[in-house]
Amino acid sequence: MPLRRLFAITSILFFAVLAISPLKNALRPYRAIQREYAKLGAARAKSQKLAQAYQARPVSIQQIWLPGLQNRVDRCTTCHLGVQDETMAGAPGVFRLHSRSFHTPKDFDRFGCTSCHGGQGLATLEEDAHGHAENAGTPMTPLPFIESGCGRCHQAEQVAGAAILSRGRKLMEKAGCFACHLVKGHEGFRSEAPPLESVALKTGGEALKRWLKDPKGLDTNASMPNFHLADADIEALTHFIFNTVPSRTLSEKIRTAGEEKLGDPINGKKIFAEARCISCHTVEGKGNGTAPELSKVASRNTQPWLLAFLRDPQAFNPRTRMPRFGFSEADTRDVVAYMVTEFKDFEAPKEMLDPVHVNQSLAEKGQKLFRQLGCTACHAVGGAADRIGPELNRIGDKRAASLDFGKRTDVKHTLPAWLQAKLEDPRSLGAGLKMPSYGFTPEDNRAMVTALLALGADPVPDRYQHQPAQRASLVPGGGVGALFDRYRCLSCHQIGDRGADISTAPLTAEGSKVQKDWVIDYLVLSYTIRPILTDRMPVFRMTKEEATTLAQAFETFYLDPSIPEDPFAGQPATSRDPVEGKHIFDTLGCKACHIQGDKGGYFGPPLNEAGRRLKPGWTYKWLKGPQQWRADVRCPNYGLTDADALKLTSFLQTLVQKPAALKTAKGGGR
Amino acid sequence: MKLSLLSRLAWGLALALVAASGCSRRKEAVAPAAAATPPAAEVAPATATPAEAAAQTGPPLSYELRLGRQVFQHYCLTCHGETGAGDGFNAFNVEPHPRDLGDPAFQKAKADADLKDTVRRGGVGVGLSPMMPPWGKTLTADQIDQVVGYLRTLKRTDAPPAS
Repeated sequence: MPLRRLFAITSILFFAVLAISPLKNALRPYRAIQREYAKLGAARAKSQKLAQAYQARPVSIQQIWLPGLQNRVDRCTTCHLGVQDETMAGAPGVFRLHSRSFHTPKDFDRFGCTSCHGGQGLATLEEDAHGHAENAGTPMTPLPFIESGCGRCHQAEQVAGAAILSRGRKLMEKAGCFACHLVKGHEGFRSEAPPLESVALKTGGEALKRWLKDPKGLDTNASMPNFHLADADIEALTHFIFNTVPSRTLSEKIRTAGEEKLGDPINGKKIFAEARCISCHTVEGKGNGTAPELSKVASRNTQPWLLAFLRDPQAFNPRTRMPRFGFSEADTRDVVAYMVTEFKDFEAPKEMLDPVHVNQSLAEKGQKLFRQLGCTACHAVGGAADRIGPELNRIGDKRAASLDFGKRTDVKHTLPAWLQAKLEDPRSLGAGLKMPSYGFTPEDNRAMVTALLALGADPVPDRYQHQPAQRASLVPGGGVGALFDRYRCLSCHQIGDRGADISTAPLTAEGSKVQKDWVIDYLVLSYTIRPILTDRMPVFRMTKEEATTLAQAFETFYLDPSIPEDPFAGQPATSRDPVEGKHIFDTLGCKACHIQGDKGGYFGPPLNEAGRRLKPGWTYKWLKGPQQWRADVRCPNYGLTDADALKLTSFLQTLVQKPAALKTAKGGGR
Repeated sequence: MKLSLLSRLAWGLALALVAASGCSRRKEAVAPAAAATPPAAEVAPATATPAEAAAQTGPPLSYELRLGRQVFQHYCLTCHGETGAGDGFNAFNVEPHPRDLGDPAFQKAKADADLKDTVRRGGVGVGLSPMMPPWGKTLTADQIDQVVGYLRTLKRTDAPPAS
């Protein structure tokens, strides 16, 4: 009897234990979710048949398996059933249709879910899959940073459709992150920071101390971050910097400039405005802002230095973006006279620009500090730059558990929150940290965190990597190269993949685009082509010979073989009919954006001189599809036929009025 | 025998209870998640930074609407203006002036299909002024859907704005 009873009990126990697993499976939350989905789908379905299809769906785990993409197994669609289902547009919560973007919903089978969103694809319980638990391995990327997913495959600096990521990448370059941190693709980065040996020639002790205390306090456009230095350290660094010996040529330039008398500030003001300094600089916040704010510049730079620098900026800092203008000796004196009378900080003490009497022991202490603080990363003195920060290449997949949150309790234990806090206040996350503060705005911070999260640990297979085609970025050497260098064309213009984007006109196909005579006139005396743009080409005071050399170089090197020299060749004579072209011009409504005659919009360039400026081949090619030059060109593609595009080109070629600026000004010469 | 059967039953019941309570606890823990529609409060901070949220008055825009806003701001704003009132900086050079897209009567009169058609084929295409260009070959069908979606958010609910 007891044996039988024991047997009975153990067998019941055995069955109970056996039942736990199927029971657990039967009660898993996704089953309830799938039943709910079937019900919702049946209610929303447009036909009886579709409704039945929803109800007949078997309840089972769904997955997307991607052996070619890091062997991902994404079971997210087990609960998120409606992501590809148009019936679920606007459905609540978990069932809703995925928003439409470049890859969704059409590319789910190529990318799965976790390659963009992060999280644990294999898990079928919400907490596990989303990684909401603290210190979870790979939690989901919060939506504000979702574009980091784009960046895992799209390696290019600018990614169309991912504005936040692109902005973040650009900011990282601008802030000079790569000077201290190694990041793949940016190994060759060099900061534009000036060499130290000319600092002592440029400024005074008090001004330098204020700069070291808070660079942005002196110049709102300063790219140097704030190192939160103690006063004693600032003192030591100042002595060290004033102890560096400038080269003889530079000292000589400053010495001779110091002997010159000041010029006429009124003429200086005129030249300052005409040269369009604010296409790069700002004055009281007005201007482009990629170069220093000038409104107080004469209180932190000595007068001889301003004079010598303006004459040859590239001698003082070979990596500067500033062009060497062709001002005459007297003109430079006038401009500097204007700057020292106008661009002053009237609250600054008199001793701002007094030199420092160097104390050797302080200077030695400063030298040590200079190395310790990592200043050499940007201001390399002679030798190679040191990267003192950690490598950032795999940071996007760092586990939150391996991050030091220091004493901060207000920061969520996730990687994005840590990065945000780090960029906001770098030294708050532990003692003895060296990273300086940059004062990023919240939007900039978010963009940079997005760019950082895109730096994943697992490289995406080549098949998934998207690298835009490299374009030829030739800059010739010799005399032409010297002119490119002198006028720093690449500080504003793009050539192929090189250069900056202050100008909206890349020079890559300039020779196919503009007429040689026009470009010579324009280089000698540039004027406004697009009235809505605030940044305009400076007047360099280039000589006619120099302008001709450059124009010839455009004609030789910067051509696009797809642009015909003569689009009318081999076409019937009717294609040259400007009267027909004018009719097309009017019916298309080109005047909504372009001025022609005395009427029209201010959005595109006025067309009154189109025939003098543009080559017919380029105009024709443009009309056939404006977006082929740049995807974001606003001029709409009218889908013109070849014949209509030719007629319109022929009309535009008849517009050869000279702009007023050229008629009145003498231009040219120095 | 009867007693043993009873005790067996009792054992079984107890076991079942244990199993059920274990499971039901699990179920409770998951139930809210299962029924979960991600609550609005959880989505809101995710879609907009505080600064952005402050800049917009209404509720944060969905992803598609934000794409639509991008298209609007890039291509349309210069003539139609920030709020669609037809007061963009270029509007004054354009005769006839661009339409007030925020006008509730206009919004009511036009179906989405009409608006999309006008964007696609331009003023000439639908018998209006040629000053509105056709965008069908510049924007994708998706972008046109998005920008029309965004236009709907520009509808004014109050009296005409003080201009």
